[in-house]
Amino acid sequence: MPLKILSVDDSRTIRLIVGRALRPYDCILCEASNGEEGLVVAARENPDLILLDVTMPVMDGVTMLTKLKEDPALKAIPVIMLTAESGRNNVVQIARLGVRDYLVKPFKEEQLIEKIGRNVTLKKKEAALATIPAPQA
Amino acid sequence: MNEGASYHELSKRYGFAPKPESASRLTLLVSRQDSDLDEIAKVIDKDPALRKRLLRLANPEAENEAEYAVETVEDALMRNGMGSVLVLAMSTPLALAIVRSFQTMLSLKLENIDSEEAELIEGEHLVCNIGFSGKVVGQVYLHMSLDSAKAIAAGILGISPDELTDNNEIKDVAGELLNIITGNFKSNLCDSGLDCRLQPPEVNITTDFHTPKTPGGGLEHLAFRAGKIQIFVDVTANPWN
Repeated sequence: MPLKILSVDDSRTIRLIVGRALRPYDCILCEASNGEEGLVVAARENPDLILLDVTMPVMDGVTMLTKLKEDPALKAIPVIMLTAESGRNNVVQIARLGVRDYLVKPFKEEQLIEKIGRNVTLKKKEAALATIPAPQA
Repeated sequence: MNEGASYHELSKRYGFAPKPESASRLTLLVSRQDSDLDEIAKVIDKDPALRKRLLRLANPEAENEAEYAVETVEDALMRNGMGSVLVLAMSTPLALAIVRSFQTMLSLKLENIDSEEAELIEGEHLVCNIGFSGKVVGQVYLHMSLDSAKAIAAGILGISPDELTDNNEIKDVAGELLNIITGNFKSNLCDSGLDCRLQPPEVNITTDFHTPKTPGGGLEHLAFRAGKIQIFVDVTANPWN
């Protein structure tokens, strides 16, 4: 089964960079452009991991994270913050809400993969194909 | 759960890069309404680059240092006001954030150049601005030629500039780039006691190169170059909001 990763970011650019970084891996990328959409997609798709921005229109990342952690069905999904916000108070407040990890923008794709790999098992596409048994003749 | 973890512990756990401390002391002083002018002057006097920039700002008509009418940091502070000191202090971490963002996202080594020596952009260009408001108000502006904007967007998206035919895509990349730079800048302001919130980026193609100064605040021009790519970043802020 491929991993499901949800990227919640109002920037299409960041979602494209995340998609490019994950392309070699056996995973499905779901996207949302704000916290409100993010909660809907999380409930529908039940992702293995969420990458979450902070400053977004409609509903920001902190509000989405708070609501996610209040929902018994969603609270166990690991969340990695992916944001340019690294102010002391914000980091402490967000950590208290229960994030698994935090990556400050700008980031290199390798850093993102390393952070994701610490929290879920990422498999290269070829490796995932190799585990599928060959059809019987 | 991270209940009770300090910022120091969290920053180690998450592997954050250390923050530049040099500007923090000055920003902390400026953010206090009861700050002593002498105390601020002492901090600036110890930083030759900052002192030089402040004096140059206080003598806009002078061609060189010999022509300076305002010669001391104290007089320059009286003339320019605290808004200028804040943008001067914050422009160092801002410049670092710009250089780091380009290095990380584009593997492009930007050089911080004297804004007066930079080649000005003629005609239509891309301008992106993000406002911040709270204990400090202001704006950060990013100006670049359309060719530079296209090259930067193509580099970040990992495609050839010829594949970029939609200006909205170029605008989205420019907006996110400034978002990242300003987010770093805002974090430094918040850490210095100047809590503020960012507004969403506005990106336009325009012929206007003018940056309006925040009333009562300071304005700093920064310029950067890497090969044919040249970008201009203006920051204006007033900490006495």
